[in-house]
Amino acid sequence: MTPLVGRMLDTLDERVALRRPARHLANKVFPSHWSFLLGEVALFSFMILVATGVFLTMFYRPSTAPVVYTGTSAIYAGRELPEVFASIVRLSHDVDGGLLFRRIHRASSHVFIGACIAHLLRVVLTGAFRRPRELNYLIGLTLLLLAVGSGYSGHNLPYDVLAGTSLRILYTLLLSVPYLGEPLALGAFGGEFPGDIMPRLFVVHVLALPGLIAGLMTVHLLILGRQTHTQLPRTGIDGAQRVVGEPLWPWQAARSTGLALGLGATVALSAALVPWSDVDLHGPFEIAQTTNTAQPDWFLFWVEGVLRIYPPIEFHVAGTVVSGPLVGGVLLPLALVALGYAYPFLERRRHPEPGDHHVAQHPLQIPFRAGAVAGVVVLLVLLTLAGGNDVIARLLGLSTESVLWAFRIAVPLAPPLAAWGAAAHARAQGRRWT
Amino acid sequence: MGTSEDEEGLDILQRRVPAPGPGNAVVVAAACAVTAIAAATFAVAVLTGASVALQGTALAAALAGLALAVRRLAPAVFPHVETAEDRDAPEGSDVPLSDVEPVGRRPLLRRVLVAAGGVVGLALLAPLSALRPPRAEAERGTGWARGTRLVMPTGEPIAADDVPPGGIATVFPSDGVGREIAAVLLVRLSGVAPADPTRLDWMVGDDLVAYSKVCTHAGCPVGLFSERTSTLFCPCHQSSFDAARGATPTFGPPSRPLPQLPLAVDGEGYLIAAGDFGGPVGPAVG
Ligand code: FES
Repeated sequence: MTPLVGRMLDTLDERVALRRPARHLANKVFPSHWSFLLGEVALFSFMILVATGVFLTMFYRPSTAPVVYTGTSAIYAGRELPEVFASIVRLSHDVDGGLLFRRIHRASSHVFIGACIAHLLRVVLTGAFRRPRELNYLIGLTLLLLAVGSGYSGHNLPYDVLAGTSLRILYTLLLSVPYLGEPLALGAFGGEFPGDIMPRLFVVHVLALPGLIAGLMTVHLLILGRQTHTQLPRTGIDGAQRVVGEPLWPWQAARSTGLALGLGATVALSAALVPWSDVDLHGPFEIAQTTNTAQPDWFLFWVEGVLRIYPPIEFHVAGTVVSGPLVGGVLLPLALVALGYAYPFLERRRHPEPGDHHVAQHPLQIPFRAGAVAGVVVLLVLLTLAGGNDVIARLLGLSTESVLWAFRIAVPLAPPLAAWGAAAHARAQGRRWT
Repeated sequence: MGTSEDEEGLDILQRRVPAPGPGNAVVVAAACAVTAIAAATFAVAVLTGASVALQGTALAAALAGLALAVRRLAPAVFPHVETAEDRDAPEGSDVPLSDVEPVGRRPLLRRVLVAAGGVVGLALLAPLSALRPPRAEAERGTGWARGTRLVMPTGEPIAADDVPPGGIATVFPSDGVGREIAAVLLVRLSGVAPADPTRLDWMVGDDLVAYSKVCTHAGCPVGLFSERTSTLFCPCHQSSFDAARGATPTFGPPSRPLPQLPLAVDGEGYLIAAGDFGGPVGPAVG
């Protein structure tokens, strides 16, 4: 430590009495297994998202009023475009570093959601959600949902063709809600589609969601700090009482800094190589347009899949309509989310183990858990594939009709089978770490 | 327990003093040099509007160099220590949250206070009503009525002959251009005779028919027409409708046909609506 930094720290310490809490923090123990870094990847990608997002916000205009774009893009120069789309074209072609930061922002959003999912899987598979960590599990799951909401709203901010259809489907899903459909859809969009959606989506994406995520992440980390990490089983260590690892200072700090910088380097390199969300690829959303494709981001492809394979059934009951969008696009996702929130308590009813649990379990130790994870993963993967049934049909040289029917049969059957199979396998293996 | 005396200290299980090879210093220095050059390149690339490939690569190299330097320098300077931290156990309910004891209980007043707070919370929901659209807009209907002219997205009226055989056109009511729910697809069939349940008396001639453009599944715009099979396609979830048979769904998730719009021709030879759609427009409303 240089004398200058040392003096500054002393000065600060004399005023805010910082030495003791700083030392406590520096001595905080971090397990060295790689799977404990997934949450850090999520944290760092969120920081990159906020930093690049602030830059992008300066140039974004959430209005659909027509303007004539007069920048350097050869495709759009002189064309009348919705102002919001024109601002994206400007960012991509006329603002210094604009395209780079757009692409880094987009790449980091994929990393953020992917890291949240991987982190959740680690927590579930090793039983790290059990008492006393139920609350942090619920907060973490909420963070994943907020991340997906951020991804969805950000995906639609350019107001290109993909955004138009994706927002139209959201409007339909809101409309399909029994009894409340019309007020919900009109209220959310501020009028009949597309209504006043862009300013609202903008505020949700740049203020409400990141604010909630930052706040909940802080709580998540404070709780983690109080509870400490789970301990992988290890001879000679009573994991229930203590956790083993490296102190935050200095090795863990170096490792985390290296991870953050490496992540930044990776998304920057990907921005140089991959044309993430290319504004030249899809034109602006126009209602009279003859062909619009629909294609959500990968993390919502499974919803697209349900909408595609749901049979053409619509029936009236109790003064309302039960439609495909309601069952597939609203009720099924809500049921999965509810299952996610309820899981720790469902498992506890199946396997009542009193007391606190600080020692990580083998992923196959609890058959009920192995089955539940396998069932949900198989369901989501199948639905994701179903979201591309036309592509699959083309690749396999089959008719879209037969592929559709294959999914209609597989989706209700395969997940329970996978759950049963995984549970049986786990029971037969009887694996455990301890 | 542990090697250190005071309770804040680390309980060190293992300590390994680094033995970095002689090359380590070279690696760190080289990484720092790469970082500095790449960072400067990045700044110049952004300021001069160089390609995104150069900007991204330079930024990546700068950050990667820094990452490498940090990861190589720290283990050379600090020992590797493995340590254990004790978990805090909850202290139970005999530790009070506060040391200030209340002097009276007043349970009823407390409940009244909570209730008043609840009323405030509920009342604060009222401004949510600002989100809804003005009444008039919410009840506009489809915008089609007897005598409404069909116009192109540009606002120009359209005559029956403007749609070539096997062709389609997207049109709007003259007072609602660009209104999504009112969008209509004019289809001129070719080589296929329209049949039930198409309303033949709502067509102009024996081949010009109009359907709502809003898919009855999830509301995407139906916009592809295959002349040979007289099939309309919705790209969102691969559905198809038979334009010669009342736009009945023939594949995919929609369960209702695209409603047909009754057509007529006015005195000037332009297309007009002879009434509103024959059925509900767009996806189901719960
Ligand atoms: S919206 Fe047309 S098929 Fe789904």
